[in-house]
Amino acid sequence: MSTTPATAAPAAAQRPRRHPLTYLVRFQSLLGLILVIIAGVAFSPRRHGNILFLQPDNIANIIRSISETGILAVGMTFVIIAAGIDLSVGAVLGLCSVLTAALFVNEGWGLWSTLPLVIVAGTLFGAVQGAISVKARIQAFIVTLAGLQAARGLSLIASNNAFININYGEGPGNAPPAFAVLGERIGGVFPVATLVFVVLAVIAIFVLNNTRYGRYVFAVGGNEKAARLSGIPVEWIKISVYAITGFVSAIAGIVHAGQFAFGSPNDGTGYELNAIAAVVIGGTDLFGGAGSMIGTIAGAVMLGALANILQLNDVSAAMQLLATGAIIVVAAALQTYVGRGGGTR
Amino acid sequence: MSDRLLELRNIQKRFGGVHALRGVDFDLAAGEVHVLLGENGAGKSTLMGVLSGAVVPDGGSIALDGQGVQFASPREAHAAGIAMIPQELDLVPGLDIASNLFLGNELTSGFMLSHRRMRRNAQDLLRRAGVSLDAGLPVASLRMGERQLVAIAKALSAKARILIMDEPTAALSAVEADHLFTVVKDLAARGVGIVYISHRLEEVPRIAHRVTVMRDGAVVGITTPDAPQAELVQLLVGRPFSDLFPPRAARIGAPILRLANAAFDPDLPRAGWQAPRDVTLTVHEGEIVGLAGRMGVGRTELLSALHGFGAKGRWRGTIEVRGRPATLGTIPAARHAGLAYVTDDRRGTGLILTHTVAQNAVMSTLRKVTPFGLVSRALERRHVARALEDYDVRPRAPDAKVVNLSGGNQQKVVFAKELMSAPGLLLLDEPTRGVDVGAKAEIYRRLRSLTAGGLGVLVASSELPELIGLCDRIVVMDEGRTIHEFGPAPREEDVRRMSEGESRAA
Repeated sequence: MSTTPATAAPAAAQRPRRHPLTYLVRFQSLLGLILVIIAGVAFSPRRHGNILFLQPDNIANIIRSISETGILAVGMTFVIIAAGIDLSVGAVLGLCSVLTAALFVNEGWGLWSTLPLVIVAGTLFGAVQGAISVKARIQAFIVTLAGLQAARGLSLIASNNAFININYGEGPGNAPPAFAVLGERIGGVFPVATLVFVVLAVIAIFVLNNTRYGRYVFAVGGNEKAARLSGIPVEWIKISVYAITGFVSAIAGIVHAGQFAFGSPNDGTGYELNAIAAVVIGGTDLFGGAGSMIGTIAGAVMLGALANILQLNDVSAAMQLLATGAIIVVAAALQTYVGRGGGTR
Repeated sequence: MSDRLLELRNIQKRFGGVHALRGVDFDLAAGEVHVLLGENGAGKSTLMGVLSGAVVPDGGSIALDGQGVQFASPREAHAAGIAMIPQELDLVPGLDIASNLFLGNELTSGFMLSHRRMRRNAQDLLRRAGVSLDAGLPVASLRMGERQLVAIAKALSAKARILIMDEPTAALSAVEADHLFTVVKDLAARGVGIVYISHRLEEVPRIAHRVTVMRDGAVVGITTPDAPQAELVQLLVGRPFSDLFPPRAARIGAPILRLANAAFDPDLPRAGWQAPRDVTLTVHEGEIVGLAGRMGVGRTELLSALHGFGAKGRWRGTIEVRGRPATLGTIPAARHAGLAYVTDDRRGTGLILTHTVAQNAVMSTLRKVTPFGLVSRALERRHVARALEDYDVRPRAPDAKVVNLSGGNQQKVVFAKELMSAPGLLLLDEPTRGVDVGAKAEIYRRLRSLTAGGLGVLVASSELPELIGLCDRIVVMDEGRTIHEFGPAPREEDVRRMSEGESRAA
């Protein structure tokens, strides 16, 4: 530091000068969300003078469609802030949905034995990946890529390589009727699946911003050595964030099984990339140490709203993918341009 | 000095409200090494920015070979034969030396890169810079000193007649620095004019032909290299040298840490990591004990083995903390025993640069501000405000990013962070590396006021005048052993002979 341009250092220190774009980055996901909504209203098809985009039914569709990606993205935010990555979440979602269906339908288990077991299984799967990465010092990218394959393999085993349909009712071969609630809407409008996402998101915002644990996650991602030197249990924190992604993947898997009333070993393919996209659009730094849970949530909603607008306008699936890609690049470019902004929020 | 290569007259520069350069005159002769001394904020980097074309001055004139010139960009200055070697070297680690030297000016034959020609020419450039390295080596495999030499060769490849070096020895070991000095002098002897920016006073007599001292954007003195250090310090900071060191301990209390014939067995022995083999020393309350010795004798290793950072293993022998046998060697154990450690690498391991001052300051004591695991912003604010006050971190801006602070203030944040856990013993490794004289004096004063409150300090430093001025006792190490102990204020020659004499015998 001793050769910081002589005058820049004190000046910068007295009043940290912010690039105007810093604010844009900090709120980019909220801003992007607003823009997408404005665009949605502007380009929405109308029927009998009603803006289809804003119809309660359509909005319910949007927030339902993002519930699973959103749940995954909540966990992914922890991992990425801790300077990691988890590519296995989509596969673990698939595994957990299959496990749920198989235990209900093939094994005749009840609600209160199945759900805890699936959640524990998912969490363990994540924790084991974290432990392997930490203890064997293998990059998380590799470990979770391997985990992705392993989870797919396990789903094929658990399902006997078959699609498992969930029927509701009493007796063997049926799932408990209460489980069907995940596919329903509160008051006929608000999807239960989305409620699960909202509850998890609220908890995650609190944990990340208001607990010691949250601070530790930021510190580990910001500078692992400095964190270790400060007495922070770095290894434990790193393992725990993968346990969190495992946990949310299990929840998302259960929601998936409940929403669609089946378990399919190939479901959830590519979900990890949507989750990562939501996190990045939300302004979290892929190098770790800086990021925002609220940003992630806005990012997830934005991706869902965008897909919805394009669908309403009968834009082809190909164009939808291109548009999503473009948005991710713009979000990343904004961050790179302004530098490693961030901090906690 | 008739051969005047460069002449800057009455250079003015303002950045907003800051008057960075207040009519600075500076000149350089061919074949001269002209050292430019100044503290952070003195304006030396801005002045060199003007010279290298990165900063456009508001007023004044630049003459090269007596001809008035104006540089609108670094490219123009470069074309005129002025090359700057920044502190963060602009070399690509993944490429070999030859590719780095010709980066952007690759030699080709047709479409193809002419590797052989580049390699040959690179070898030639290296030889002319007095460097004996194979041009085919990847830069990543070189040590910092060797990279520095490659950077010089690169500057020479652009036919530079004026070389600006920005604290080239900041990251070098003593041996590497020696080699660098030889190369620099050799270049000067061949007519290159060299501006050498530094704040290491001890380098001045070894390399300079002339010294210019800047303070607050103005030249406050031009002297010869044989000027006594005290005079240079006075010019630099505007107050006498003796004021640098506070008075020694008034009261020495009970022993905090006692090692007797202690040795450390690392789980994974590494080459070049000198494990403590036979260490006997005691640090008392209120006392500052220094660790002296050459590079690589195990000073840093002793500190990290005590603290457990970067060293896993087991201690043998007598280790007592406050009179009771203690197990050390892991970070939690050290923290439990009341040992805190300030690293010599604040940017790499001391701080999270992208986080705020507040976040860094409470990092090692988060428990104190998170009752029941929940962050109490009120507690956090109060703790941080007190720490910023206590350690005089400027500005007092808890929400400023640490990366925007000056080196000295970053170091204060590291101190604040470690001392917030109220340790009994502070382990310091090169606490003033890379901070300027004014900030050094402040750190010394701070340490003394802490020890007055009963803290013990064990400090390793490669700067003998610092240890002598600061410490109550100095322990000399060699090859992992403590070999001698000096009382307060020993003569520098005695300590130097002791640290170096043993090595020759070995």
